[in-house]
Amino acid sequence: MYRYDSFDQKFIDERVAHYRDQTRRYLAGELSEEQFLQLRLRNGLYIQRLAPMLRVAIPYGTLSSRQLRMLAHIARHYDRGYGHLSTRQNIQFNWPELEEVPDILADLAKVQMHAIQTSGNCIRNVTTDEFAGVAADEEIDARPYCELIRQWSTSHPEFDWLPRKFKIAVTGAPVDRAAINVHDIGIRAYPAPGRRSGTDGEDLFDIKVGGGLGRTPVIGALIREGLPARHLLTYLEAIMRVYNRYGRRDNKYKARIKILVRAMTPEGFKARVDEEWSHLENSASTLTPAEIARMRAHFRPPDYPPREGAAETLAADRLRDPSFDQWVRLNVSAHKQPGYAIVTLSCKPTGVPPGDVDDRQMEAVAGWAEAYGFGEVRISHQQNFVLPDVAADALHDLWRSARALGLGTANRNLATDIICCPGGDYCSLANAKSIPVAEAIQQHLEDQDYLHDLGEIDINISGCMNACGHHHVGHIGILGVDKKGREYYQISLGGHSGDDASLGKIVGPSVSRDEVIAVIQDILDTYLAHRIEDESFLHCVRRLGLEPFKERIYAKAA
Amino acid sequence: MPKLLSLNGEFESPATGPLAAGRHRPPWPAENGDSMVRQGVTAAAPELVDAGNWTPECGKGVRLTVDDEVDERFLAANRIAIEFPAFNDGRGLSLAVLLRTRHGYAGDIVATGDVHEDMLHYLRRCGFTSFLVPDERSLDTALSTLAPYSDYYQASVIEPQPAFRRIGRGA
Repeated sequence: MYRYDSFDQKFIDERVAHYRDQTRRYLAGELSEEQFLQLRLRNGLYIQRLAPMLRVAIPYGTLSSRQLRMLAHIARHYDRGYGHLSTRQNIQFNWPELEEVPDILADLAKVQMHAIQTSGNCIRNVTTDEFAGVAADEEIDARPYCELIRQWSTSHPEFDWLPRKFKIAVTGAPVDRAAINVHDIGIRAYPAPGRRSGTDGEDLFDIKVGGGLGRTPVIGALIREGLPARHLLTYLEAIMRVYNRYGRRDNKYKARIKILVRAMTPEGFKARVDEEWSHLENSASTLTPAEIARMRAHFRPPDYPPREGAAETLAADRLRDPSFDQWVRLNVSAHKQPGYAIVTLSCKPTGVPPGDVDDRQMEAVAGWAEAYGFGEVRISHQQNFVLPDVAADALHDLWRSARALGLGTANRNLATDIICCPGGDYCSLANAKSIPVAEAIQQHLEDQDYLHDLGEIDINISGCMNACGHHHVGHIGILGVDKKGREYYQISLGGHSGDDASLGKIVGPSVSRDEVIAVIQDILDTYLAHRIEDESFLHCVRRLGLEPFKERIYAKAA
Repeated sequence: MPKLLSLNGEFESPATGPLAAGRHRPPWPAENGDSMVRQGVTAAAPELVDAGNWTPECGKGVRLTVDDEVDERFLAANRIAIEFPAFNDGRGLSLAVLLRTRHGYAGDIVATGDVHEDMLHYLRRCGFTSFLVPDERSLDTALSTLAPYSDYYQASVIEPQPAFRRIGRGA
């Protein structure tokens, strides 16, 4: 993974000092609320319903055991002993004191971490496939490019005061686990035809722009194919300049780049970007082979000691222990390296807000990453921990330890692996609570045989239109709305965030909190009644359309 | 009365055409911590004329709004002001970058309107050379926050080479 050099370290140390001074000036009354708001947002600090919330950057979801231990320390020392994994692969602390935030940032800087640009109308933390670098199906490890984008976008002189927040995702695998279709910029990286990445030839990028969720969900438009890697930053510069100059600033709900792309049409936007890029192509920001090679070297795979007989041991463990077998089937993914596996540690056991992890769990995960891997941990945008390099014959040990700490639930991608924003319990923007809805669904689906029989179902819950819970791309999406001061929920079906991304369609009038479970059950009943053999929920919804679901849900009311 | 903070003193001679030899080389001292800043502070507000009324003969600076396009005529002005309707409106940053890097404007670019101390380091890196600091803002703070960082990752108007081309970075 990326390790800071003295340049990086100096920069974040100066960032801490800079922010400390801004906080001091605010507390001394030299900065108004509104002025300080803009400054603290460049550093991840929100003022929430109950307390400030600090969002710490975990660039592209990769962190070391040492960094995770520092997060545990911060949770213990400055917060109430827990943190919340976000859908941008970051971590949020819900109870810090505003006065102590500079100290938290100083602690983070000791382990090469920061909170820069985790909120505000600027370029946010770039995200990628949580399996980057280890996935069996991957063509390119996208993280070197993510790090190049991180450095380029950090305190960019021109693009730190955009019309609205700006999110970039990169994937290097044919199967899109980074949701590139629903980002302001989505990048698919692949090797030049007939060549292998990092050995010969230059990687290429397809660039999509104007995807996004929020109030106006849109699938991104492809505006550039086969862009050679050296042009990555100059091409991004061209896109950002067009957006910065022409994106709307009069209405925050129409300020995202997707609105501009739609207004200009994707073709018109592309023409504008290409014109801008014609002035920037081959300028000094063009990446050098040395810089790309330097960045790749940071992400060189570890030397994997061979695991003789690992496959046999794993097979025997699975045969002996059906619960373990089920966990392996769901939560363990194929690794590039024979004898190794990728483990998703579910942070979605029933009864815990999705993505909430306490300091003991963080410490334990850090320890497992060292004991069973190479000291590296990932955060997925589905709000789970991922251990990228676990020897196959150690999986059983790991699972037992994880289960004892509530991290061994076998539910990856099942209906209880719910993506959920903090909602009305914490967030001042929310129209409705989301955590209790997630918990009610998890409790309702406690019958494991039934849950597993349903197969893969993404349920995504957002407490408001801002869509932090990605409800538009949930197979079942749940959106909290306010109806005359009461919490209601709008249910949509058929969303999906992968390659064949689609946006969910609303099934009908919103329902009260008490009715949500019955509606979910109607949806699941309809699926089970109509599915053909092993047909997945998503496929079934796409085949049937909304009608059968509508009929079932609203028949009673009629 | 607002104070005019200028990074490199006077801008007597108007620029004529792009900075041919070093298109991206700025006419002011290169950035290097505090020694970079040869600032001067004057109480006199610059004389400016709105873009619509400005003529090359008027002898005054031209005032642009953040959503103006660059008109080649304005490049003859010895001073171009960009008026910020709100301190966090980033359009003025791009406009200054275009004036410097695309049109080779070498005269003074002054930030006017809602100019906030904490924006100065961004403004400076985008090619602004003067700042009209409103009464309610602190000049001391403005001066002390001109360069909060000793170096940056990216290229900018005042540092045309990104860090990866200038210095050996650790592998």
